[in-house]
Amino acid sequence: MADSDNDSGGAHNAGKGSEMSPREQDRFLPIANVSRIMKKALPANAKISKDAKETVQECVSEFISFITGEASDKCQREKRKTINGDDLLWAMTTLGFEDYVEPLKGYLQRFREMEGEKTVAARDKDAPPPTNATNSAYESPSYAAAPGGIMMHQGHVYGSAGFHQVAGGAIKGGPVYPGPGSNAGRPR
Amino acid sequence: MENNQQQGAQAQSGPYPGGAGGSAGAGAGAGAAPFQHLLQQQQQQLQMFWSYQRQEIEHVNDFKNHQLPLARIKKIMKADEDVRMISAEAPILFAKACELFILELTIRSWLHADENKRRTLQKNDIAAAITRTDIFDFLVDIVPRDEIKDDAALVGATASGVPYYYPPIGQPAGMMIGRPAVDPATGVYVQPPSQAWQSVWQSAAEDTPYGTGAQGNLDGQSMEF
Repeated sequence: MADSDNDSGGAHNAGKGSEMSPREQDRFLPIANVSRIMKKALPANAKISKDAKETVQECVSEFISFITGEASDKCQREKRKTINGDDLLWAMTTLGFEDYVEPLKGYLQRFREMEGEKTVAARDKDAPPPTNATNSAYESPSYAAAPGGIMMHQGHVYGSAGFHQVAGGAIKGGPVYPGPGSNAGRPR
Repeated sequence: MENNQQQGAQAQSGPYPGGAGGSAGAGAGAGAAPFQHLLQQQQQQLQMFWSYQRQEIEHVNDFKNHQLPLARIKKIMKADEDVRMISAEAPILFAKACELFILELTIRSWLHADENKRRTLQKNDIAAAITRTDIFDFLVDIVPRDEIKDDAALVGATASGVPYYYPPIGQPAGMMIGRPAVDPATGVYVQPPSQAWQSVWQSAAEDTPYGTGAQGNLDGQSMEF
């Protein structure tokens, strides 16, 4: 089998194709994305079997559920409703993934700094959005349909901030992704 | 002790409040003399991996281009009925965390494929990485036991009691993990007995790695060869 990912393209590109229903494939991250990341960890002449890709897909979903469950328990104990980045970092530490926390802390910090800048910029342009907007307004189209390599390119530069708890358009798809309109960010 | 009711279905050890990840544990463990080099090599490669990640993440300034789709991550998070609201930063943080997780799991799996002189990563390589790494205990249910058994069979077929070494690799050019130079060196890789592997990893871990029945069963499986 060639090194290229044969799972790209097709209506069920994101899942196991004909083996899974569209609803079931939502339980996993797209196999093309997972495969691309796996290849970064391997020498150039290494190949990855389909079985291995699918197994890692399942492992990643399990990882997300594992960390999320721990973070959710903590929020409930503290009577908070929203899981945030710090809760996830705490859960990773508790569950043995300390090595991940150091790089992620810096990542989260820089994201928040950028978010702060964008929020200010957004409010300069528009009326202040309601601060109690639900997180469910936050949604982005799947990148699974994007052809390989497009993920590495710079996307559009948006004027509005989309990373706060308010609805925003910054991460909604441009021409590259389906559903470029603002409606794409609404809950499905 | 943490409340792990959400993970009740998984055969997992408890949290490791005082313990470090697998790589740190491997570094701390003395282990048997014949396998020190092997563990040191693994430790070195994983240290390079984490060092590279720290450098790479420091240069991230665009949070819109993700390797993984945020909407799907959010859906997986919300599959847990107890999860109500998720801040916008959580899926973004997970996108990076999952990337680290995939990379670490793949590196550890590749080490097993390499030991068996294969160039194709297979499911049983992932099974081996899961059984060898404490922090991956929560994944044991994902890998069927026949994969573990297959792993044991492979180990039995190749084990001759001779530990294998591969020379330290230079700066990875374009790759995070370089390929061990097997041909210029000895040209022979021999898989150490898996039983020794288990004892080495157990001595390295601060907590009891096999505190649950399911894990014990898997351990029993892996020692058959």
